[in-house]
Amino acid sequence: MAENAIDAGKKKNQKTAEDFTYIGMVLHRLTRHKLAMAGAFMLIAIFLFVFVGPLIWRIDPNLQIESLEGLLNPASAAHPLGTDDYGRDVLARMFFGGRISLFIGFVSAITAALVGTLVGLVAGYYGGWADNILMRFTDAMLSIPTFPLLIALASILGKGIWQLIMVIVVFGWMVDARLVRGMVLSLKEQEYVEAARAIGASANRIMWKHLFPNTLAVLIVSTTIGIGGSIIYEASISFLGFGVQAPFASWGNMLQNAQQYIWTAPSLIIYPGLAIFMTVLGFNFFGDGLRDAIDPKLKL
Amino acid sequence: MRDYIIRRILGMIPLILIVMIVSFGIFSLVPNPFAALTENPRIKRADVERLKHAWGFDLPWHLRFFRWFGGVVRGDWGPSLLFPGSTAREVIGRALPITMRVMGLEFLLALIIALPIGILSAVKQYSITDYIVTVISFFGMSMPTFWFGLLMMMFFSVLLKRPSGMPLLPAGGLMTPGLEDAPFFVKFGDRLQYLVMPVAVLAFNSIGGWTRYMRTSMLEVIRQDYIRTARAKGVPERFVINRHALRNALIPIVTLVALSAPIVVGGAAITETIFTIPGMGSLIIQAQIKADYPTAMIALMLSSILVIVFNLVADIVYAWIDPRIKYS
Repeated sequence: MAENAIDAGKKKNQKTAEDFTYIGMVLHRLTRHKLAMAGAFMLIAIFLFVFVGPLIWRIDPNLQIESLEGLLNPASAAHPLGTDDYGRDVLARMFFGGRISLFIGFVSAITAALVGTLVGLVAGYYGGWADNILMRFTDAMLSIPTFPLLIALASILGKGIWQLIMVIVVFGWMVDARLVRGMVLSLKEQEYVEAARAIGASANRIMWKHLFPNTLAVLIVSTTIGIGGSIIYEASISFLGFGVQAPFASWGNMLQNAQQYIWTAPSLIIYPGLAIFMTVLGFNFFGDGLRDAIDPKLKL
Repeated sequence: MRDYIIRRILGMIPLILIVMIVSFGIFSLVPNPFAALTENPRIKRADVERLKHAWGFDLPWHLRFFRWFGGVVRGDWGPSLLFPGSTAREVIGRALPITMRVMGLEFLLALIIALPIGILSAVKQYSITDYIVTVISFFGMSMPTFWFGLLMMMFFSVLLKRPSGMPLLPAGGLMTPGLEDAPFFVKFGDRLQYLVMPVAVLAFNSIGGWTRYMRTSMLEVIRQDYIRTARAKGVPERFVINRHALRNALIPIVTLVALSAPIVVGGAAITETIFTIPGMGSLIIQAQIKADYPTAMIALMLSSILVIVFNLVADIVYAWIDPRIKYS
C-alpha cells in the first residue's frame, strides 16, 4: 500500500511519455529547444511589429513630402526611422512592407507545399508510369537554375503580388513533392492502408484521409523553413525590380533604390534588410526546433 | 555498375529535353522581343520584319523550338542582342572564366572552412562551441546575400578608408582600369582586392548550410557501434575521429559537393549584380532584361545540363566510394 502511494505521488510530479498526446509531446520537446524558442520570440516580435505597429503609428506609408528638405531625412521625432528618397516615412513603410512580405511568404510556401503534396501523393501512390513521368518532371525542374527563370516568368506574368506568388510556387514545389513521395512509398505498404483498400476505400480517400495526415508533420516542418525561403525569394526578385511594385512597399523593394544612397542614407539599407534577416532567421530556428521535436532523425 | 551508368546516362536524355523545352517555353512566351525596335521611329518596319524572319520569330513556337534545337546541337547559338555584333557563344565565352574564378574561389574557401567547423561542432555536441557554430551557420543560411553584400560594401567601401582617402576595398568591378600592363604581382594583388567582398558574401552563405550538413553527417557516424568498438579498444580519440569516423562521415559530403559544383559555372545572379561582376549570373539577368533570348537560354541550359550531369557524377562517386551501396 505504502509503495503504491509513493508511486502515485511520483506520478503526480513526473510525467511519463504515456501521459502526453502526440501534439503534447511535440510541444513539450519544442519548448525545451532553446533555438526554437528564440525563433518563436523573434517571429512573435515581428508579427506584433507588423500588425500592431500601424495601429499605433498612423502615418500613410505612401504619403510623400513635397519638398527637398523632406527627402532622405535622418531619424527624428516626426520620422523615427527617417524618410526615403520620395520623402515617405520609413517606419510606416516597414510595417506595410512587412505585411506584404509575410503575406507572400506564407501564401506561396503553403501553396507550393500543397502542389508538392499532390504530385508526391499521386506519384508515390500510383507508382508505375505516373511516378516516372511526374518524378522526371520534378528532377528537370530541380535542375533548372531557379532564379533566372523566376525573373523570366515574372516578366511574362507581369508585375504584381499574385503574379509573384505564382512564380515562387511554380519553382517551389519540387522538394516537397520528393519528400511526400518518399514517405508515401513506405506508408502505402503498411497494413492500415491495405485494410482501407480491402474495405473498398477509393484511391482519393486513401491518399487524402490515410496517407496525407501521416505526412503532415514533416510537411509542416518543411513549410516553416519554406516560408523563410519564399521571403528571401520575394525580396531578391523585388530587389532587382521585378517583384512588388510601387506604390506598394515590400521589404525587398525598399532595398531596391537604397543601393544608390549607400553614401548619403545608409539607414535605408539597414532596416529593411535587418527585418528580412530576422524573419528568415526566426523561421529557420523555429523550423529546425520543430524538426527535432517531431523526429530528430528526419533529414530535411 | 556499368549497366547502371549506361542506364543513367540514357535517363539523362529525357531530362535534358524537358529542361530545354521548359526554358525555351518560358523565354518564347516573352511578349515581343521586338517591341522596342518597332517603337523606334528610326528603324524601318521592313528591317524589323527581316530581323523577325532571320530569327524565326515569324514561325509558330514549336517550329521555332526545332530550329533553335538544331542550332544548339550544331553549335550555332545565335547572335547576342545584349552585345550587338557578338554571338551568344562569344558573350558566354567572356563571362564564363570570370564566374569560374569567383565561384571557384568561393567554393574552395567555403569547403575549407565549413568541414572542420562542422566536425568540431559534432564532436563537441551541445557545448558552447557547438551552440556558437550553430547560431552562426543559421545566420549564414538566413542572411539575404544582397543585403549582406550591401552591408559589406557600406563597411569596407564607404566607412573604412585608406590613408590615401580611397575606400579600403573597391565597391565593384574586376580590376582597376589602367593596370592592364602592370607586372604580374601588382595585377594579381589588384584583382584579389576586388574578389574579397563577393567571395566572402557567397562563402558565408555556403558555409552556413555545409557546416550543418557536416555536423549532421558526423553525428550520425559517431553514434554507430564500430566507433564504440574503436573507443573500447583504446584507440585515441583523435584517431577515432580523424581515421574511423571521418571517412564515413565524408561520404554524404561528396554528394553535396558534386551537387553544388554547377554553381561554379552558373554563377550567383544577385551577388554578381551588386558587385558589378560581368559573370554568368549577371549575364543571364541582363540578357533577360534586354530580351536577349539566345544568350539567356543558352546560359540557362548550360547550367541546367551541368546540374543534371553532376547529379549523375554524385551518384556514381557515391557508389564508388561506398561499397555498401548496391545498384541493380
